[in-house]
Amino acid sequence: MRLILEVWRQEGPDAEGGFETHEILDATPEMSLLELLDRLNHQLVENDQEPVAFESDCREGICGTCGLDVNGVPHGPEDNVPACGQHVRSFQDGQTVRFTPFRARSFPVIRDLIVDRTGLDRIIQAGGTIAVDAGTAPDADTLLVTHDDAERALDFAACIGCGACVSACPNGAAYLFTGAKLAHLALIPHGKEERAKRARSMIAQMQHEFGPCSQIGECVLACPAEIPIVALAVVNRERLRAGFMWGKAN
Amino acid sequence: MSSGIQERSDIDQIPVAKRPATSPPPRPQTWVLKLIMAVTGSIFVLFLLFHLAGNLKVYLPDDPQGHFNEYAHWLRSFLSPLLPGSTFLWIFRGCLGAALLLHVYSGVTLWIRAHRLRGRHARKVNPTKHHLTGRTMLWSGLIILAFIIFHLLDLTLGRVVASKDFTGGSTYKLENGEVTVDAYANLVHSFQRPSVAIFYVVVMVVIAFHLSHGIWSITNDFGATAHRTRSVLLILADLIALVIVVGNASIPLAVLGGVITL
Ligand code: HEM
Ligand code: SF4
Ligand code: FES
Repeated sequence: MRLILEVWRQEGPDAEGGFETHEILDATPEMSLLELLDRLNHQLVENDQEPVAFESDCREGICGTCGLDVNGVPHGPEDNVPACGQHVRSFQDGQTVRFTPFRARSFPVIRDLIVDRTGLDRIIQAGGTIAVDAGTAPDADTLLVTHDDAERALDFAACIGCGACVSACPNGAAYLFTGAKLAHLALIPHGKEERAKRARSMIAQMQHEFGPCSQIGECVLACPAEIPIVALAVVNRERLRAGFMWGKAN
Repeated sequence: MSSGIQERSDIDQIPVAKRPATSPPPRPQTWVLKLIMAVTGSIFVLFLLFHLAGNLKVYLPDDPQGHFNEYAHWLRSFLSPLLPGSTFLWIFRGCLGAALLLHVYSGVTLWIRAHRLRGRHARKVNPTKHHLTGRTMLWSGLIILAFIIFHLLDLTLGRVVASKDFTGGSTYKLENGEVTVDAYANLVHSFQRPSVAIFYVVVMVVIAFHLSHGIWSITNDFGATAHRTRSVLLILADLIALVIVVGNASIPLAVLGGVITL
């Protein structure tokens, strides 16, 4: 397969940046999009050119590192699949494929396709953790969690922190990410102890760096963890609830 | 939670991460603005349904003019023994006006925040319904704002854009002998101008767009997470939008078509 790659190149955070066009003659349908970039880099190195900087780690959809936009869509043309799990077979022979860094003012470019996603880490640092002393493992049946709650908590815990939701959002909002974490922790016993405090601090932090949500729902199409759209309302629900708790932690 | 968990006493001393110095402090907080949008938006939705019910009196079989003007009069003098004259009407107008100011202020502030935070690269447009209505909220809102001004000039104040037959002051005698504004005649005269009638119809469609996404937004902004509530409100959003556009837009069309006359 022959593909034309238009790749965003940017030396560093303050550099101008621009597109570079390359031709790949030996792409195969079963290559992942990251392997396509590997192929490109191989070619660049052979020609004594600088390889394209992009991020990846697990390459099996669990780490959330492989964030980039493909033809203006986070992770690539398939819905709910990370870039490492998307394949060249989505494209036609001779097609132009454009790689850009995740699009969001809150994700400044570090180099080429690599962006700084620590804004999401700061939301987690603000309260996406459990700071209660859980002691030793409790006796069986002292901490009851219903099956439904456990399953729902796990569904929301599936977020891999990739940032695709932010890039997909026309407002640069991180509601899906924040809502997933809030919903997950609000459903489990240890998490409930700081439920209101967490909502206040995580949402305050989220607002510092990310946009407001307009319920457009593009994030849900991008999310590789298939976090459901209700996570957006969870952010508002948890914040309103925290307001009613008048400064209490739980 | 009693069993197995001890609360740490120093929980409140654990520092909250600092925001980077580059981002502007978001005051008022985004969630507060969203809440204001949802509260004021709900007020408008209720008002529009109430307003529609009044407007539909033009379709009453016998003496629509009398019923319509009686309604207009009732609105002006509601609670009148308790409150002097049109006090109620002014409280009502004051609340709506304040809600409008808050709504526009919050909407514009949120829009500016959203636009500052979107990135620089081109995005593939996703032609979903919420994309169409959700991303045009500010524009549909500004059209509605222009319309509100036009509408008040046209049918309440009788200035600038009103029909030349606008009957100002108190000219209609109700059955009980009280004299009031002939709101019905003003309406008919105004809509007998085809361009004005078409303008009203077009704006009603814009309002329907604003509402179909707006009511869905309200659902989320009030934090409704129950599956059934959300499903019902998602349908209700389109239904209310449809009722308002069909109900209101039919009136100028009926005047143009000669169904409603003086
Ligand atoms: C007068 C000019 C108006 C402007 C500039 C305006 C602007 C906006 C904007 C920008 C939003 C979206 C906020 C967001 O991103 O979530 C919005 C939401 C909304 N608007 Fe308006 N609007 C106007 C008038 C109205 C009127 C007259 C109504 C009543 C029919 C209305 C009902 C709503 C509702 C229900 C929402 C959803 C509130 C929410 O976000 O929860 N708006 N408006
Ligand atoms: S919510 Fe989904 S898209 Fe957003 S960061 Fe988590 S996994 Fe990625
Ligand atoms: S590289 Fe780990 S999710 Fe794609």
